[in-house]
Amino acid sequence: MSARLSTRDLVVSPIFANNPVAMQVLGVCSALAVSNSMQTALVMTLAVTFVLVCSNLFISAIRQFIPNSVRIIAQMTIIASLVIVVDMVLQDIAPDLSKQLSVFVGLIITNCIVMGRAEAFAMKEPPLLSVFDAIGNAAGYGFILLSVAFVRELIGAGSLFGHEIIKTVANGGWYLPNEMFKLPPSAFFLIGVIIWVVNIARRKRK
Amino acid sequence: MAFNKDSIVGTMVFTIVLCLVCSFMITGTADVLKERKLAKQRDELMRNVLVAANVEGVTHDNFRDIFKAKVTPVLVNLDSGEQVPAEDLLDFDTRMAAINPETSSTINKDIARIKTRANNIRIFKVNDDQGQLQTVVLPIYGKGLWSIIYGFIGMEKDLNTVEGIVFYEHGETPGIGDFVNREEWRTTWHGKQIYDNSGDVALKIVKGGAAPDDVNGVDGVSGATRTGAGVQKLIQFWFGTEGYETLLQKLKAAGV
Repeated sequence: MSARLSTRDLVVSPIFANNPVAMQVLGVCSALAVSNSMQTALVMTLAVTFVLVCSNLFISAIRQFIPNSVRIIAQMTIIASLVIVVDMVLQDIAPDLSKQLSVFVGLIITNCIVMGRAEAFAMKEPPLLSVFDAIGNAAGYGFILLSVAFVRELIGAGSLFGHEIIKTVANGGWYLPNEMFKLPPSAFFLIGVIIWVVNIARRKRK
Repeated sequence: MAFNKDSIVGTMVFTIVLCLVCSFMITGTADVLKERKLAKQRDELMRNVLVAANVEGVTHDNFRDIFKAKVTPVLVNLDSGEQVPAEDLLDFDTRMAAINPETSSTINKDIARIKTRANNIRIFKVNDDQGQLQTVVLPIYGKGLWSIIYGFIGMEKDLNTVEGIVFYEHGETPGIGDFVNREEWRTTWHGKQIYDNSGDVALKIVKGGAAPDDVNGVDGVSGATRTGAGVQKLIQFWFGTEGYETLLQKLKAAGV
């Protein structure tokens, strides 16, 4: 079974060709909410990566013991526990960031990417492959999140990672930030544009 | 066949084991982080007290030293206004003291809508560089629109003029009611007076903005009338007879 799935494919394909956010339109909720600055987007990506890798690993490791009738609940239990752990650790090491991310760390539980990979991949494949699959999908999620955050923070605040790139009017420069890019709808447009571009690229390759 | 995972027993065993493992994972993490969390809470408390007392030169690195040098936490009885001997006041659990029936009492005129209040309350005396009492920081809290708003208010030596105020915890509407902790608003409290000449609590949150010469008026914020009203009421409660009135009079009589 594992012969047809190469490690490279597992990691690379979800970043572009089969991106969970752009192609499967999963995990959009959090992508809209936390992509207004690079810093929150990066922390969110790391949190999702951790949860996704661990949940895929654990679920795959015990997949032969999970009774069919309670498998979704079992997956949820594992994912939810991991998310609580991540939330507690984040509150400890970065309390300010954790306040900014507020409920969205907790909402990783309902992030369809995590659940989707558990049900679609980890339930069928061995642990090592599941981990690679998780890394690939987390990278795909992070790629979209960071791209959107890059544009939003640059245009919305004239900065990246909180460092000033374009001098804004408020600080005596020339650039008047576009406030709309700080608000969630702008992420909708940006993700839409990304989906569009990815689709064109795919069609061309065919 | 030793273990059939899809039988009822198999499902039960699996579920129980999974739940146990997951709960151990969570409690384990919580336990490891507990000490650090306590230390963080202590830091947060020190910083909030220093902000309320409007102490100058506080930075991210030196606040612990400044707190140690200038601030003395004191436990006082609200009914008598007398000091109560106590230890480890930095870890004093104010929330627990306020709801535990043995250490709290029901409020008769509950304008702050908090139902009970602790009999003994931890306040902070803040000294200046010469060791003279400069500010008294009092904890205050009460219901806003959605949530209980927690804060500290720093009183100048006359025990009537506000030195500074901080609201460190609330669940008011983001972007609207959360002005309570915005610095631009907090600093407008500086120099305001709680009581009028006849000794009644006169501090008001004024809709549309207070007149510049109004020593009892603090600007309200449009769209957040009820959060502002909550703040006004909690001030009225805490500086009234069931709040700090007795204590403040005792302190004044003792000539702070």
